Amino acid sequence: MITEIRYNRPMTVELSGLRKTFGAVTAVDGIDLRIGDGEFFSMLGPSGSGKTTVLRLIAGFELPTAGTVALDGRDVTRLAPFERDVNTVFQDYALFPHLSVQENVEYGLKVRKVAKRERRDRAREALAKVRLEGFGARKPSAMSGGQRQRVALARALVNRPKVLLLDEPLGALDRKLREQMQVELKAIQRDAGITFVFVTHDQDEALTMSDRVAVFDAGRIVQVGTPEAVYERPVSAFVAGFVGSSNVFTGETAKTLFKKTGTFSVRPEKIAFTDEAAAAPGTVAEVIYAGPVTRYVVDLDAGARVVVVEQNSRTPRALAGLRGQRVRLGWHEEHVIPLPSGKDSAHAS
Amino acid sequence: MRADSRWTTAVLVAGVLTLAACGGGDEGGGSGPGGLSVPKVEKLAALGAGEGEVNIVSWAGYVEDGSTDKTVDWVSSFESETGCKVNNKVAATSDEMVTLMKTGEYDVVSASGDASLRLIYGGDVAPVNTGLIANYKDIFDGLKDKPWNAVNGVAYGVPHGRGANVLMYRTDIVKPAPTSWGAVFDPNSPFKGKITAYDSPIYIADAALYLMKSKPDLGIKNPYALDDTQFDAAVALLKEQNKAIGEYWADYTKEVQAFKAGNSVLGTSWQVIVNLAKADGAPVEAVLPSEGATGWSDTWMIAAKAAHPNCGYLWMNHIVSPKANAAVAEWFGEAPANKLSCAQTVDKNHCTTFHADDESYFDQVWYWTTPLAQCVDGRTDVTCKDYAAWTQAWTAIKG
Amino acid sequence: MDAGVDGDQGVSMHRHPRWQLAGLLAAPVLWLVVAYLGALGVLMVSAFWTVNGFTGGIVREFSLANFRTILGEEVYRTVTLRSVGVAAAVTVICAVVAVPMAFYMAKVASARSRHWLVIAVLTPLWASYLVKAYAWRVLLGNGGPIDSLFGGPGRGPGYGLTATVIVLAYLWLPYMILPIYAGLDRLPDSLLEASADLGARAGHTLRRIVLPLLVPSVAAGSIFTFSLSLGDYITVQIVGGKTQLIGNLVYANIGAAGNLPFAAALATIPVLIMVIYLIAVRRSGALEEL
Repeated sequence: MITEIRYNRPMTVELSGLRKTFGAVTAVDGIDLRIGDGEFFSMLGPSGSGKTTVLRLIAGFELPTAGTVALDGRDVTRLAPFERDVNTVFQDYALFPHLSVQENVEYGLKVRKVAKRERRDRAREALAKVRLEGFGARKPSAMSGGQRQRVALARALVNRPKVLLLDEPLGALDRKLREQMQVELKAIQRDAGITFVFVTHDQDEALTMSDRVAVFDAGRIVQVGTPEAVYERPVSAFVAGFVGSSNVFTGETAKTLFKKTGTFSVRPEKIAFTDEAAAAPGTVAEVIYAGPVTRYVVDLDAGARVVVVEQNSRTPRALAGLRGQRVRLGWHEEHVIPLPSGKDSAHAS
Repeated sequence: MRADSRWTTAVLVAGVLTLAACGGGDEGGGSGPGGLSVPKVEKLAALGAGEGEVNIVSWAGYVEDGSTDKTVDWVSSFESETGCKVNNKVAATSDEMVTLMKTGEYDVVSASGDASLRLIYGGDVAPVNTGLIANYKDIFDGLKDKPWNAVNGVAYGVPHGRGANVLMYRTDIVKPAPTSWGAVFDPNSPFKGKITAYDSPIYIADAALYLMKSKPDLGIKNPYALDDTQFDAAVALLKEQNKAIGEYWADYTKEVQAFKAGNSVLGTSWQVIVNLAKADGAPVEAVLPSEGATGWSDTWMIAAKAAHPNCGYLWMNHIVSPKANAAVAEWFGEAPANKLSCAQTVDKNHCTTFHADDESYFDQVWYWTTPLAQCVDGRTDVTCKDYAAWTQAWTAIKG
Repeated sequence: MDAGVDGDQGVSMHRHPRWQLAGLLAAPVLWLVVAYLGALGVLMVSAFWTVNGFTGGIVREFSLANFRTILGEEVYRTVTLRSVGVAAAVTVICAVVAVPMAFYMAKVASARSRHWLVIAVLTPLWASYLVKAYAWRVLLGNGGPIDSLFGGPGRGPGYGLTATVIVLAYLWLPYMILPIYAGLDRLPDSLLEASADLGARAGHTLRRIVLPLLVPSVAAGSIFTFSLSLGDYITVQIVGGKTQLIGNLVYANIGAAGNLPFAAALATIPVLIMVIYLIAVRRSGALEEL
């Protein structure tokens, strides 16, 4: 909670002291969170970190063991899903297989007894928004994964909820489609002005789309902030390691390199090869060519193995010959991020 | 997908058809109904050693080994004396007996008159070498060489005993005690819904017997020889009776339970069922109504292809031995076949009560007989309804 | 037989996948043709034979007499209608009882109790059919537990058509629960959550989502309950009072009267009804999703 940015807008989702246990397992272990109106908020974390449970607690599919959920200032902790002004896009889309696409999208309106004509128009509009005009008569089984995903989105959006909850909605799509959908989702969210709560384990996704990101670990939130803040100023080795990759230095090595005691993180792309005499010497252990970038693994004389990423903006050097060569590595002081020391400091990648 | 589901449908259809059809294959050799020629089957020439077991089809109460009532046992002694283990199958109706004997799995059967001739003409049973049955000589002459157990002077079985179908009633409910079959044919009976009847086409004869006395102008002389008019009258009476029937019984345990619980309070029964119900604590009694009754004269017969002929003969000899015949006659409630049995009964008046040697009494009892197209009462000017017609009428009566 | 011969066969099977397939399918196809369709064929053919009324021998001459009797006599129409009515009532009762039970098992109960519930549903199938039917005879008897439930001796349904429907529904219930349970098990929880999420209460979700998706399962179950009820003759003998169903007529003609041809002719009635039923189920599209 160190780097939370305060929004002046009203809060649509407020979680306080939220806990959820399943038998002996604690899935959510005391969460306090405020999500602002119209915000694109991501919950990022490894599987089992509790992010999906929090989403289900907001939706009302689970009741919390302790704590409260408030939507738009109203306590909804004990209310059933159908009494909450939120809609969900499920990981498996959960489209009703016996209903056509049009009927799927109309379902929420029909339940709320919206007149037939208005229902049809709004459903058509929602389908147009996700670029599926003319698909209304099809059955979900006759559509591709990406199309189904958009139907699920239209089915939720057509109800104009205060908050839209998305549970890894892009997880089942291939990379190209996923990147395309990321852009579309962001556009739709900005367009509709709805609060999005987005669960993902993909850090790229979280960083590219969100206004703010909450990083989950073992049922707790370890950091909340803008993508930039979370990436540039991780508060722990876990965050540094999970959001992007990072070189973590500790103990004697840190003392030698930074002339300070403590644990420090430096992103691979912030480290550069240099000829400066003050830079840290080391030996290239591995060279990995990855298209736009090349990754170097360097064993520092100070006693740590670090990863360096270099843009392939020029023609790459003769890479194979680099292995075993002596090099010097340098970085800017401001990119050395101090981390709290503890068991987390063991993390490095 | 379409092809798949069509295949699924085909398999389902086939499976369900088998479930629904529940039919089996059965082969039966036939002989013309007109000719009535008896298939030639050799009788056993000499008695050999027992085969170790014998498979019996019998009426309930005919083969008792003490499992129903500890004191009622004439099987254990037979088993220990002869070494023939008895496997008994109780049949509920004569039709069932015929069907069971046609399977060829049984050695001997206690056939009533409405089954015995069908078995003889069907070639399912063999003539009996009475010389091999030591107790045959003590059997009442009135039971030997009768139309239902002998053909052309050849004996096809050993007489077992005879008796009448009785009218059973709950003494605590049916007051006063009934004296006429009219009690079960009364459409306005106060016991409507609690009257029971025997579930077999042969029960049509009970209605015919009642009509014989109550409507003499129908001219019924024998309840098993019914021309069209007589048959229609009997069927109409039974259809009327159906409205008052609670259930039809064939399974004797069902009958005992129904009388005990009170689901049935009045209806046709056997003496052995009366005994069992009483033993079970049910307040029941039975009477022989004034019209007389249908009844049976049973015959032990041996299968044409018996797998255990020697044990079969040993059994037939045992069951008509004075002691065993007395025991079965008392338990089942019928007249014994063996003269010497009358001295062996626990109730010394048993033979008198059941009119063992009283042929004039049994003139009033109409033994179960298979109805034929050629009237069994000797009429030649009309055609009678045969058993197939009785069977189909029985279905229509039950509705 | 030595290993070399085995090996040769293995190789030849491997090289001729078509033979391999034929070998695999030979036994089941033979079974289907001979045992299933063959028995049915014999049934159909023997329906046109007659029986010698006296000796019980079968007369193998083509005759329509059996069908003339069945179509001509009113009693067979009455019994057919009654049997279809009983089968339909049993099916409806089973479906109405099975849906909530299966729903509880598949979607409400915990994983461990689900295990036990499935066993509990299956257990009655291990007990003898006759024992269960006779147990019901005692339950339904005059002054029995069911009577007491209705307020005294003679107040309950007693033996008869109602009792037959009740007992058959009890006997075939597992055959309805299991396919519905399997159907619900396959139904993702997220569909129910999505419906609730879109504002639907439980009842609405049941009507609009669960039941439509269960149609194939219920249809599969109904094929069992309907055909088993249509063929039954034992339960009705035990608790049916004087009630006759098609099964009784078939049984009476095979078991008691020994008139197999007429029994076969009667047996074509349920066969015909089931064919019509299956065609109707297929038309509804339920089989496509099985």
